[in-house]
Amino acid sequence: MKDFMMIFIGADYQELGLSPEELQSRMAKWFAWGQKMEAQGILKGGEALIPTVKRIVGQDRTVSDGPFADSKEIIGGYYTVSAKNADAVVAIAQDYPDYDLGGTVEIREVMVFDR
Amino acid sequence: MESKIVDHLFRHHYGKMVAILTRYFGLAHIETIEDAVQDTFIKATLQWRKQLPDNPEAWLNKVAKNRTIDLLRSIKSQKVRSEKLLKDNSSEELNDLFLDHEIEDSQLRMIFVACHPSLKPQQQIAFALKTISGFSTREIAAALLTKEDTIAKRLRRAKQTIIKNQLQFDFPPPNDVEDRLARVMHVVYLTFNEGFHSTNKDKLIREDLCGEAIRLCKLLLKKEKFRSGSLYALFALLCFHASRLESKTDINGEIVDMLKQDRSQWFFPLIQMGNSAMNKAMEFDEVSIYHYEAAIAAEHIKAKTFKNTNWNKILLYYKKLQDLQPNTFTLLNIAIVELQLNNFEVVRQILDSLEASDLEQRAYLYYGCYSEYYERRGDLVLAISFLDQAILNTTNALEKRYLEKKKVILQNRI
Repeated sequence: MKDFMMIFIGADYQELGLSPEELQSRMAKWFAWGQKMEAQGILKGGEALIPTVKRIVGQDRTVSDGPFADSKEIIGGYYTVSAKNADAVVAIAQDYPDYDLGGTVEIREVMVFDR
Repeated sequence: MESKIVDHLFRHHYGKMVAILTRYFGLAHIETIEDAVQDTFIKATLQWRKQLPDNPEAWLNKVAKNRTIDLLRSIKSQKVRSEKLLKDNSSEELNDLFLDHEIEDSQLRMIFVACHPSLKPQQQIAFALKTISGFSTREIAAALLTKEDTIAKRLRRAKQTIIKNQLQFDFPPPNDVEDRLARVMHVVYLTFNEGFHSTNKDKLIREDLCGEAIRLCKLLLKKEKFRSGSLYALFALLCFHASRLESKTDINGEIVDMLKQDRSQWFFPLIQMGNSAMNKAMEFDEVSIYHYEAAIAAEHIKAKTFKNTNWNKILLYYKKLQDLQPNTFTLLNIAIVELQLNNFEVVRQILDSLEASDLEQRAYLYYGCYSEYYERRGDLVLAISFLDQAILNTTNALEKRYLEKKKVILQNRI
């Protein structure tokens, strides 16, 4: 088994102006997905991220505050799961609730360092 | 694990929290308060993914309250009553407002604000659906079959008017209660109609609108000072109509007309509730359009089959309704009832006196009535040509399909 990170990009609820009813149904889907992975014992961790962004760039360490031009590229959170391979994580990621809002899931394998 | 979250919790709690916080911080801050409550739900959707709080409602109340205080502080507006903001966040005074009866009281105040005469009728409905019922701009647009931009504009104007006129978050003064209550009932009535008569494809939206109207009506009835014959009659009307909501469409979402509706599917508890409300309405010495509309709805429900409908009685109620409040649509309804009674001369007279354009979105019903008139008189060619007019005049896919099916049946009879 290897560890993978599912990185959630885009679909910022704040920006999309979702209604309370829609937010509740999103929340329920996320909750159910989390419970499902928990029950399968594959969920290693994860966080949701607040969309406020600070960037530090270049030699001069220039600091700039968001929001930046393209909010579709903002990372909203991540989960770490253990799975046999990337394809298995693709299967897990089918339950990600926000594809219809233009959200993206990026799957990355966590590197294991040799001792 | 079973979810502790009841259906529609967010939507219902939106209206409650906005009302409570508005009562505390003042109507002038309604925009900030709505932002704070929206932020609260977004925070909840992120935080509750992992674990639900033991008491979701208390969690929401606390976060919304703190968020409002944060936002108001950051605005540093002169108008903010700073002494309230300086108090400890857990101030007893504000917490007491989250008690059930206080929530109801605040929501009622909000209804009266929504129906303030300085707001235009279209703004009133949009504002009520947003602030009291927790619909988003997009949901209101979908419900009222209007563009999202238009709704956003109406909401903005409503809030500007409230702030410009410095409306207070209060019940109307005693002399104005009757007039304002009439407006409130009208908004409740329109909200329900948007759900019930609307040709909206989305069944959920239709049910939500009807449910909200009934909830608001119930809320009003809880206060003794607002009870009146017309309010009870309105409640009865909503119950009678709502009892048929399920059977108006079939499992494929296609329209089922009164003739073919499965009457055993009508929801009996709502009919009972409507009956007792109607009895209450009769205890008051007053007559309103709601009385007659409820009486008509009750007659339809009483009939065991379509054939058994007491059209004479219904006709009488429609005529009284027309005397009380003359209206083109009522006149068309009279024609439709006269048609059931085969009074062809009268039908013809009424239809010829009407203009399709006066019926706006419902012009297709006018052509439909003409079509049925000719069908009953045996002139199928003219009946079909009026059906074509009806089809041309409806933008709704469901209605169109219903009418086209009817057309095929007529064509097969030629």
